[in-house]
Amino acid sequence: MIGIDEYIQAFNETLYMTFASTVFVGLFGLALGVMLFVYAKGGLRPNKRIYSVLSVLTSIGRSIPFLILIVLLIPVTRIIVGTILGPSAAVPALVVGGIPFYARLVELALFEKGHDLKETGRAFGLTDTRIIIKILIPESLPSLVRGLTVTAIALAGFTSIAGAIGAGGLGDLAYLYGYSRNRPQVTWVATVLIVALILAIQLTGDLTVKKLKKTQ
Amino acid sequence: MITFNNVYKTFQEKHRTIEAVRDVSLNVKKDTIHGIIGHSGAGKSTLVRLINQLEKHDQGTLEVFDYTDIRRLNKESMRMLRKRIGMVFQHFNLLQSKTVYENVLFPISATGKVTESDRQRAEQLIEDVGLKGNENTYPTKLSGGMKQRVGIARALINDPAILLCDEPTSALDVDTTKHILDLIRKIKENRGLTVVLVTHDMHVIKEVCDAVSVMHDGIVVDDGTLDDILFAATHPITKRLTESIGFNMERIASDYSELPNLTLLRFQGEVTSQKILSTIIKKTGASINILFANITPSKEGLMLISIESSDPEAIKAHLRAKGVEILNDRY
Repeated sequence: MIGIDEYIQAFNETLYMTFASTVFVGLFGLALGVMLFVYAKGGLRPNKRIYSVLSVLTSIGRSIPFLILIVLLIPVTRIIVGTILGPSAAVPALVVGGIPFYARLVELALFEKGHDLKETGRAFGLTDTRIIIKILIPESLPSLVRGLTVTAIALAGFTSIAGAIGAGGLGDLAYLYGYSRNRPQVTWVATVLIVALILAIQLTGDLTVKKLKKTQ
Repeated sequence: MITFNNVYKTFQEKHRTIEAVRDVSLNVKKDTIHGIIGHSGAGKSTLVRLINQLEKHDQGTLEVFDYTDIRRLNKESMRMLRKRIGMVFQHFNLLQSKTVYENVLFPISATGKVTESDRQRAEQLIEDVGLKGNENTYPTKLSGGMKQRVGIARALINDPAILLCDEPTSALDVDTTKHILDLIRKIKENRGLTVVLVTHDMHVIKEVCDAVSVMHDGIVVDDGTLDDILFAATHPITKRLTESIGFNMERIASDYSELPNLTLLRFQGEVTSQKILSTIIKKTGASINILFANITPSKEGLMLISIESSDPEAIKAHLRAKGVEILNDRY
C-alpha cells in the first residue's frame, strides 16, 4: 500500500538527488564553462588546441544518453558512493551528465558581454584571474543563474530515469508501483509532485534573476 | 609622451591578413589633445589600443613615458603602465552590477585595498564630472551622457598621465557630445593630461583637439596641428573631412574672388589677443572687410580679408610687423 509517507519519502529523495547534483554541477560546470571561455577564440587566453580538447569532451559528455551514462559509470559510482543503489548512487551520473550541459550555458553567458568586459579589465591593469572573478562572473550572474535553473530542471527530469533503475525517488515510485503494479493513480500523483518540484525550481530561479537585475 | 616609430599591426584571419596599422610614425606631445580621425576600418581604434597594449604591435617601436618599447614590458610592468593610462570607451563599458560610486572606484577595488583617500578621490571625481547625488545609482538608470561621465571619472581614478578616448561621443547626441567634449577639455586643462582621442567625426576634432592625425587604410596620411589640418589640407581624405564641417578655404576664397586684395591671415600665440586690425584701420584709414574668421581651441586663428586701400602692400607690411602671418600664396 502506498501511503502519504511513501510519497513524502520519494519526493524527498528526488529533491535530494536534484539538489545535490545541482550543487556539484553548478561548481564544476561553472569551472569548465569559464575554461571554455578563457581558451576560446576571443577569450582571455585563446588556445585552439586546449579549446578543441575541452570542447570535444563537453560535446561527447552532452551526447551520451543519460541511461547509458548511468550504466557506464557503475564502477565509478561503486568506488565513490560504495553502492549502486539508492539516491546517493544516482548523484555521480547526474553530475557527470549535468556538467557539460551547464558548462555550455556558462560559456554562452560569458560571451554575451565578454569582449568588452575583457578589454575593460585589461585597460585597468587587472590580471586575467581578477577579470574572471571581479568582472566576468559578477556581470554575467543573471545569465548564469538562468542557466543553472534550466540545468536544475533537466537534472530533476534525469532523476526519474535514475529512479527507474534503482535510485529511488518519484521516478522509482511511478515506474515500480504505478506502472509495474498497474496502479495508474500512483503514477499520476508522482507526476503532479515532480511537476510541482520543477515549477518551484523555475520560480526560485526567476525570482533570483529578478532580484539580481533589480539592483542593476 | 607617446612616440610611434614605424609601427605595424596585422591581424590574421582565416583567409586573409588585415593590415590594421601600417608603418605609422607619429608623436603625441605632452599636455595636448591629439585627435585621430578616419573612416571606420581605417585602423584608428587599433592604433589607440597599441598605446596601452590591448593590442600588441608586430613591428616597430612604441615609446610611452620613459619606456623605449612598451611591447617588451613584462606582465607586471605592463599592468603598472596600464594603471598610468586611463581609457574611455565608446559604449562606456560600465559594470551593470555596480553603482556609480563602485564603478568609479572599481579600478582600485579590483586590484587591491581601497583607502580612505581613494574614497575621497572617487567622490571628488564624481563631483568633477557633474554627477554628485548619483553615487548610489546603477548605470541602467543613467542617460548615455551620464554613463560616459562615469566612464571618464573611472578612467581618472588612478590619476593617469594619459587618457585614451575611443570614440567617446559616438553613441551620444549632438548636445551631449558638446558637453562631454567640454568636460574632457576641462579635465585635461585642470590635470595636465595628455589625451588621445579617436573619432570619425570632424566636428569632434574641431571642437576639442590641438593636434590631429588623419588615418586611412592603416596609414597616417596627414598629421599636424588642428589649423594645419583645417586650412592647409592637401591629402584628398583630409580635404573631404574638413569639407564635412564646412572648411573649404579654396571654395571660400573663390566665393569672394571678385573682391579686391584677398588676403589670408594667420594669427598665432600672443597675436590673437591684440587689437591689430582696428589699430591699422585707424592709422591708415583703409577699409578692411572681414570675410571669414576662425579661432580654434588651440588659440590659432585664420582670417580672410579684403583690403580696400590705395596701398594694400603697406597694410600687409603693417600686419607682418605686428606678427601676423600672411598666407596669400596659397589662394
